[in-house]
Amino acid sequence: MGHAWIDGRSVELQAACAEAARLLGASRLPVIAGLGTDIGGARAAIFLARRLDAAVDHMHADVLLHDLDVVRDAGMMVTTPTEARVRADVLLLAGPLAADAWPGLATGTADGRDRQIVWLCPGRARRGARGAKVQIIGRDADDLPAIIAALRAAVARRPVGALPVAAKALAAAATQLQSARFGVAIWSAAALDALTIEMLCGLVKDLNATTRFSGLPVPPGDNALGVLQACGWMTGFPPRTGFGRGIAEHDPWRFDAHRLVESGEADCVLWISAYRPAAPPWTRDLPTIALTGDGAGFHRRPRVHVAVGRPGIDHDATEHVAAAGTLAWVAAAAPRDTISVADVLAGIAAALPGTPPC
Amino acid sequence: MLTRIAGGRVVDPGSKRDAVGDVWMRDGRIVAPPPAGTRPDEIYDAAGKIVMAGAIDIHSHIAGATVNTARLLLPETRRGSAARPAQTPLATAGWSTFETGCRYAAMGFTMAVEPAVAPHYALHAHLELADIPIIDKATLAVLGNDDFLLGLMRAGEGPDAVRDYVAWTLETSRALGIKVVNAGGAAAFKANVRAFSLDDVVPGYGVSSRAIVKTLQRAVHALGVPHPLHVHCNNLGLAGNAETALATIAAAEDLPLHLAHLQFYGYGKEGERGFSSAAARIAEAVNAARNVTVDVGQVMFGPTVTISSDVLRQFNARGQAHPNKWMIFDGDANGWGIVPYEYRADNFYNAVQWAVGLELFLLIEDPARVFFTTDHPNGAPFTAYPEIFALLMSRELRAQWIATLPPAAMAVTTLPSIRREYTLGEIATMTRTAPARLFGLKDRGHLGAGAVADVAVYSDEADRARMFRAAALVFKDGELVVRDGKVVRHRWGRALAVQPGHDRAIDRRLQDYYDERYGLAHDFMHVPAAAIGRPDPFEPVSCAR
Repeated sequence: MGHAWIDGRSVELQAACAEAARLLGASRLPVIAGLGTDIGGARAAIFLARRLDAAVDHMHADVLLHDLDVVRDAGMMVTTPTEARVRADVLLLAGPLAADAWPGLATGTADGRDRQIVWLCPGRARRGARGAKVQIIGRDADDLPAIIAALRAAVARRPVGALPVAAKALAAAATQLQSARFGVAIWSAAALDALTIEMLCGLVKDLNATTRFSGLPVPPGDNALGVLQACGWMTGFPPRTGFGRGIAEHDPWRFDAHRLVESGEADCVLWISAYRPAAPPWTRDLPTIALTGDGAGFHRRPRVHVAVGRPGIDHDATEHVAAAGTLAWVAAAAPRDTISVADVLAGIAAALPGTPPC
Repeated sequence: MLTRIAGGRVVDPGSKRDAVGDVWMRDGRIVAPPPAGTRPDEIYDAAGKIVMAGAIDIHSHIAGATVNTARLLLPETRRGSAARPAQTPLATAGWSTFETGCRYAAMGFTMAVEPAVAPHYALHAHLELADIPIIDKATLAVLGNDDFLLGLMRAGEGPDAVRDYVAWTLETSRALGIKVVNAGGAAAFKANVRAFSLDDVVPGYGVSSRAIVKTLQRAVHALGVPHPLHVHCNNLGLAGNAETALATIAAAEDLPLHLAHLQFYGYGKEGERGFSSAAARIAEAVNAARNVTVDVGQVMFGPTVTISSDVLRQFNARGQAHPNKWMIFDGDANGWGIVPYEYRADNFYNAVQWAVGLELFLLIEDPARVFFTTDHPNGAPFTAYPEIFALLMSRELRAQWIATLPPAAMAVTTLPSIRREYTLGEIATMTRTAPARLFGLKDRGHLGAGAVADVAVYSDEADRARMFRAAALVFKDGELVVRDGKVVRHRWGRALAVQPGHDRAIDRRLQDYYDERYGLAHDFMHVPAAAIGRPDPFEPVSCAR
């Protein structure tokens, strides 16, 4: 059963959907934000956005866009977590969150070879690779851009200037990378900016002049990669896309939900966080419809609140499965009688005036 | 409801019909003409128009992780955040799933086949296909660089295990056929091999590219899958690669084989630049090999993006990226590469490529064995099809184009000497009747009683490009979806798939394999109907040949 409230008052789901439709229908610029939902929820949200001339954003769009900026400026070589696990004999970890790629990163390859690890600037995170043969270079995350640049220069046999690390260690690391049979550079865009990622990906491309090397970004949570894919095929663009002018337009600044809300441009928010009860990060008061798990602590009480199930736990879901590196159907781990984001959005869409094109 | 499309010239090679007359539809199917005097519920006047079955595109990269990567690589193909040059890649092609369906329908197409789905990404591909409106869809699953198959071959396991694995893949991926892309080449690239031909051996497995092709060809045939093995040969795009195409045609022996986008293998080494058309030789070989079918992969001039599971070829082509950015995806089996590219009319090599495609169309005699593709978007976006129909149907139009192209390029082809012009009947054979037969779709591609009521009606204009760009009327399952080139009704199509059946032992074996190798339950590859989120998303296709 669904739990729905209007202004904190418990109501039937249908009444909550009707009120949400009224608020969204009266809005000049609604924004659908958070978007922590499964593929069914994301498709329903993007259909709804198109109908409402709304903007769509994801709570981890900043992180996604660090990687995407590199993709669309320069391109990348990337691999899958499965391929890295099975075949990578050398891992190049960049920054503190890189060891989150998969549990037990340090164990060997499928064909029984040892795995060597070079870790740039792990900060305090190096315990993530406990037990493996790990060469640490640098410590502070601030030094990471300079160290990656120096490593790339060393691989290309170019001179390197003053460094925060010993030149000998750097040269040894460069040799180790070049002697990889299949090396994989791993990073999390939550810890690296776009220029640093571009330098790292440039190093990967350079290494392929003589050997095989690829990259592996660690995905953010809340099905960010799944929503990215659905937004890609439905609009041609990643999140931070708006339909206000009748066509899909992508602009990372213009359709940033936080900016739209704080600037007053957006006058209604549909906030979605089904994987965990996250609340919107802004403090400005505006009509808000929130679809979240139980227990969200809101700065301001939403006008409409519906408690939704957790995808893949409370109900079956299609989502990006990090371990497989792809979209997959996930049966509910502990099925519960809850309502999904897609179902609530269908209810809202049905309460809107007019009929959709499809 | 009974519908009559009245008084058009019905061009339907499937029922050997080319005459003015009526087409009748009831409840989504074509029906025989009712007794004289029967009043239809609806009449559409087709006087002066051409009536054909809906067209079927057999090879077009329209959905899945590869295509979506290209979208994210090239946001400038659409209105975006930054100022854009006027001519950007794919400026003329639909780039969301919704535009893809609408643009196909507007041209009178009612089905398209996405030809390169890696089994790990089958659900992703089907989710995208489900969001392509109006037309029906299908996929080809890619095998031949995967560790499991190569492992079976290395271990010398017999044909039964391979056959069960192929059947399992078809069913799990919900695919209509099997494709092999540079057989063994992607696996060799993992071992840092940079060039790979038909008789080269994959390091670590000891099996040749030829052996992989033959193994899969036999398995597909033995299962009774209507579509023969769909082969993307080695050495795509390289000067002198006609030898690879000829060797692959010869390797087909007595069993059916389909060679994809043959234009990209039609190159000799003649002339001052060591690059020439070998289309005439290849066409001769195709004409002689009755069990071989091909599609062309026609090049048209303009910016586009190349999308391919031939990761080795895409890696080697990275230096030609325009604009200068590219993606290489080192996937679990084939992987893929995305390289944007611009075909230029003033470029010698591109002009030769354009001519090679047209030569193949015109020199292969049987329009039922040469299929109409641009390998969208690799040779050109599918929106360029109307211009290509016009070129095939008019030697005068071809002469106009040839006059504007580099003479040195035309001199190393036979195109200027070719006089053949396609008839409407041959166009219908190539784009309707033959594609349906190639996939074993008995109720499509023709207008005989019992066929699915997919019908395209065109104004009979002298400007064939204009005629094929915007159909006057299109019916999908008997419902009017396009009028005067504009979509008037959105509906959702189905994905067609075969279910050849297999021994359950292979399922347990794959379960163990995925557990051990990846620490994953192998059912992440499944494509349950419930995941698609629409009623009846799939339509089974019979394997009985």
